Amino acid sequence: MSVRDDFPILARKVNGQSLVYLDNAATTQKPQVVITAMNDYYQNSNANVHRAVHTLAGEATEGYEECRTELKNWFNAERVIITSGTTESINLVAHSWARANLVAGDAIILTEMEHHSDIVPWQLLAQDIGVELRFVSLNEDLTLDMDAFKASLSGAKLVACVHTSNVLGIRNPIEKIIEMSHANGAKVLLDSAQAVPHEKINFSELGADFLACSAHKMCGPTGIGCLLVKEDSFNQMQPFMGGGDMIQTVTTAGSTYQDNEHKFEAGTPRIAEGIGWAAALKWLGKINLHDEHIRLLDIARWTADQIKNLPGMTVFGRHADGDSAVVSFIHDSIHPEDMARLLDAKGIAIRTGHHCAQPLMQRLGVEGTMRVSFYIYNDQEEAELFIETIRSIVERFA
Amino acid sequence: MTWSPALQEVIDEFSEIEDAMERLEILMDFAEEVDELPSDEWNEQNLVKGCQSRAHVVIEQRDGTIWMRAAADAKMVQGLMGILTIAINGMPPAKVLELTPDFVVEMGVLNTLTPSRSNGFRTMFDMIQKTVEEMS
Repeated sequence: MSVRDDFPILARKVNGQSLVYLDNAATTQKPQVVITAMNDYYQNSNANVHRAVHTLAGEATEGYEECRTELKNWFNAERVIITSGTTESINLVAHSWARANLVAGDAIILTEMEHHSDIVPWQLLAQDIGVELRFVSLNEDLTLDMDAFKASLSGAKLVACVHTSNVLGIRNPIEKIIEMSHANGAKVLLDSAQAVPHEKINFSELGADFLACSAHKMCGPTGIGCLLVKEDSFNQMQPFMGGGDMIQTVTTAGSTYQDNEHKFEAGTPRIAEGIGWAAALKWLGKINLHDEHIRLLDIARWTADQIKNLPGMTVFGRHADGDSAVVSFIHDSIHPEDMARLLDAKGIAIRTGHHCAQPLMQRLGVEGTMRVSFYIYNDQEEAELFIETIRSIVERFA
Repeated sequence: MTWSPALQEVIDEFSEIEDAMERLEILMDFAEEVDELPSDEWNEQNLVKGCQSRAHVVIEQRDGTIWMRAAADAKMVQGLMGILTIAINGMPPAKVLELTPDFVVEMGVLNTLTPSRSNGFRTMFDMIQKTVEEMS
């Protein structure tokens, strides 16, 4: 049995061809155990969580809270707030921590390679409370300019930084960023959406104050993610969304709140998704992510080299150790959208566009790129088929 | 929906091709049908918003009939513009408003008409009909 056999979707045909799925940085496919766990919940245990005493409610609660336990173990984190994904996690920090702890004139440091989900929440906050946003520029090789980062730190209260770029695959020197930020009195929020599929993160050892990620980038369901929070920062957070489940008591005169993570999880949570994510984590736990990462990075390096050798192609990113298995590229005459449709005709799924990172596109001087991204079920054979196909497209259409 | 004979001919031409890539290649050939909008006429008003490629469309009414000029940087969007040209140029506004966009699915060149960032055709089609509606 190979890993591929665990993913039923990989057996399907697209436009009469075997599916070659190279859009993993957007979302990964789901192993059968995840699909089965979610179906099983709806078929046998569906009930609302936390308060009822009947059997189904108990099973649902146990299944959902098992997700939190799995996450705490996976990331070695004390506080895990379950959210709808990375975007909500970052917005939660903006609303629950930043609003309560920052004032006009405080600086938030961002970078030119952020995803929109780590830009727009801060722009909204800046409009509301007058914090200053500073964007750290990139070096010629598209790595973060650490001198510029150092220079930006004066007066900074928060550094919100992408762990691994969704476009370039470049892993930022987050350990250094955390050390320098803390030395200057700034907290650190990591957008780790693209990092969690490729490295096992030890949140307590890493020392970041907040870490946001999504389940669907690591074989889990869509619609669920989490925010890991250090205890001292957790205690500085104020409730943001009000509703059921997050309270201790409610009277017409006012309310008191839960003191654990539920304080930030108002309303009925994503129960089936939590159960699915727990199943995904158990499944991923059997795989050596480090070895897989090295294998995938080798495929990405080979792919990047092959693309560079095709006439008219430009590849962005460096594919150094630790970077994710992502290759972004453009062709000087074939539009990304045309290339993606032609590849789709051959059953090959890639992503095109600005990848929700328009400031980075402006830095690269392009409107969008094509992007292929590999994950644990991809192999060298698929990369070779992809290269053979784009080579024939370039020969035919350039 | 019944189409004009010219559009039906195009639909039939596509229906005969089994290979998806070949269909896209022929779609690109339809770029030649577009009455090209020169780049100095491109502006925010005629930009097709929410499209992955840059696309501009101008709709004009002459002697009671609709005429389209357009341009795009993606060849397939140009091809779709070419097919739209065949579908609407020289038609009375009422006929353009009757048109539904599903002919491109029938041709097998797009797999969905749901508006999205990657589906500029639907956005373009809706924009054209809205302009024609405002004119009539």
